[in-house]
Amino acid sequence: MGNPALRTEAVWKVFHQEAEEVRAVRGVTLTIQPGEFVVLAGPSGSGKTTLLNLIGGLTRPTDGRVWVDGLELTRMGSRELARMRLEKLGFIFQSYNLLPVLSALENAEFPLLLRGMERDQRERRVRELFQRTGLAGLEHRRPGKLSGGQQQRVAVIRAVVGEPALVLADEPTANLDSAASDILLTVMEELNRDLGTTFIFATHDSRLMERSRRLIHLVDGQIVSDQWQESRREQ
Amino acid sequence: MSSKTAVIAKLALRNLRRQARRSLLTAASMIAGGALLIFSLILGDGTHEQWIDSAVRMADGHLAVQSVGFQDSRALKDRIPSESRGLVEQALRQGGFPANINDMVPRLAVTGMASSAAGARPARILGVDPVVEAAFSVLDEKVRQGRYLQSGDRLAAFVGIGLLEALDLRLGSKFVLTAQDAGGEIAGQLVRVVGTFRTGIPEVDRSLLHIPLSTAGAWLGCSGDVTSIGLLLGNSEQVPQTRSSLRQRLSQHPGSEELQVLSWREALPELDAAVKIDDFSNYLFQGILFGIIALGIVNTVLMSVMYRRREFGVLQALGLTPGQSASLVLVEGLFLTVLSGTIGIALGLSVTWFLWGEGLDLSSMMDNEWTFSGVVMEPVVVPRFRVARMVQGLSFIFLIGMLASLYPALRALRIDVAETMKFER
Repeated sequence: MGNPALRTEAVWKVFHQEAEEVRAVRGVTLTIQPGEFVVLAGPSGSGKTTLLNLIGGLTRPTDGRVWVDGLELTRMGSRELARMRLEKLGFIFQSYNLLPVLSALENAEFPLLLRGMERDQRERRVRELFQRTGLAGLEHRRPGKLSGGQQQRVAVIRAVVGEPALVLADEPTANLDSAASDILLTVMEELNRDLGTTFIFATHDSRLMERSRRLIHLVDGQIVSDQWQESRREQ
Repeated sequence: MSSKTAVIAKLALRNLRRQARRSLLTAASMIAGGALLIFSLILGDGTHEQWIDSAVRMADGHLAVQSVGFQDSRALKDRIPSESRGLVEQALRQGGFPANINDMVPRLAVTGMASSAAGARPARILGVDPVVEAAFSVLDEKVRQGRYLQSGDRLAAFVGIGLLEALDLRLGSKFVLTAQDAGGEIAGQLVRVVGTFRTGIPEVDRSLLHIPLSTAGAWLGCSGDVTSIGLLLGNSEQVPQTRSSLRQRLSQHPGSEELQVLSWREALPELDAAVKIDDFSNYLFQGILFGIIALGIVNTVLMSVMYRRREFGVLQALGLTPGQSASLVLVEGLFLTVLSGTIGIALGLSVTWFLWGEGLDLSSMMDNEWTFSGVVMEPVVVPRFRVARMVQGLSFIFLIGMLASLYPALRALRIDVAETMKFER
């Protein structure tokens, strides 16, 4: 059996705010296998986003260890971390965070561009994903000319186009109405099913929780439950 | 170019276009600065070249071959004997006369007295070859009365107007020159005024006179000898290279150790200092001007970084290193400054070329002749277009762009990616 997509071992993150010590993540140990569709749920301040940042190498843990696809992040320097993010991770943010100076297609192919992939190969892969996600014809629009749902789908393509070991999505549906959310979730489910992309979501969105196959509850920085479930869609 | 470098360059250009108005305003200040920079540099160079040209023609040229010690003693004992003079001329002509030497003049200089019935005055007496001196010196262009010396003249003197008046002489008047000859004896020589000149430099007009070199040699008992051999080059930039090649040529001849090759900077230290001070004040002014422009660039680029904090966070999340995202800021700053600075320099060159290529006439600002350090300032300044100055200007602008972008780049470098994402909440 290959490496798990993610493994964390007793990960802690402590912030110091003036005299106060905030324990955002407390000893989280977690393993996620390739192809999983996992939701991290919990109330505000439960440590969901901090845990995603730790997994993504955007924040360094105070203690503990993190492996992505068998590579230990906690020992990496900033160059290695950047390389690891480029090759192993995809990010989806609440506010889409597309680069406004690039077209939808250029945004989507950005990770491939950074990897130095040939133009034809890049465009073929990206156009196929545009087709699959219902964005065909919008390739040359700037983000400002796309709806929120369309922008988030471009962000999803950007996250998965490089076939990363793991896609981290922080509240991806928070800025979308229910129709746009539904389309987006369907797209991500299909990508998970067809391409085997591993997704980890941090969310409050009950629709997303219902469609996940593994639901992990965090409270005060600790995992309080880790349940496998059949998603409502599959039911 | 690596894929990341290409991406960074593409993003930098697009970001500048994104804030077009802000970029254009900053670029406009850089264009004006670049134009002013090159205008002041080439005009300054033109002015300095005129000063140098005027001074070296009055003195001993861009380069002067003298006996060691003559520069300090100014005495006949430190002259170049005729054999050594022949050696110098032979060395110069050996393998062809160097292309950048326009003229070569032998001179026999002595300090003495000029006396008439009206009295006596100290005089700087130059024995010259009338033909080559006319091409070298500017004195033949400053004739007030009579004419300059001619080939075949024997007892003729070309006298400064101040000295002429002090001795109450007129054209055709005779007067006596006295000086210590080569043997250390006081010797006199009767000469006749064939012409007068006015340079506008009082100390020159009051003391200088030219007589034929052969007359001076016979009078001072050192026929064929000279005190200096002056060389006039195409321009002052050719001095270091020509000096070094001349030294090398001379060193191959026995007896050359008694000779030295002085540049105008050593022969005319006051002029050298004046050029350096003028250059320094120009650089200081440009430094202040570009300091102000740089603050504008810092503001533009820093605002852009602060406004795009989250974008820098996203770029790092997508796989750029902090250094690469900082280099994006540097590239933006450099694009802005180098592009606009180059346009400014091209504009400055074009405007100067078309409007003042033949010379900038400042005569309306100059009531009287301005002189200093033996230099008459010409009312028309001819700009001097040099590739080196353009390279210097561009390098300076590149440096300013780099410095101005450094702080905003550091801010981008230190962005906490996780922190920038918090703004979403």
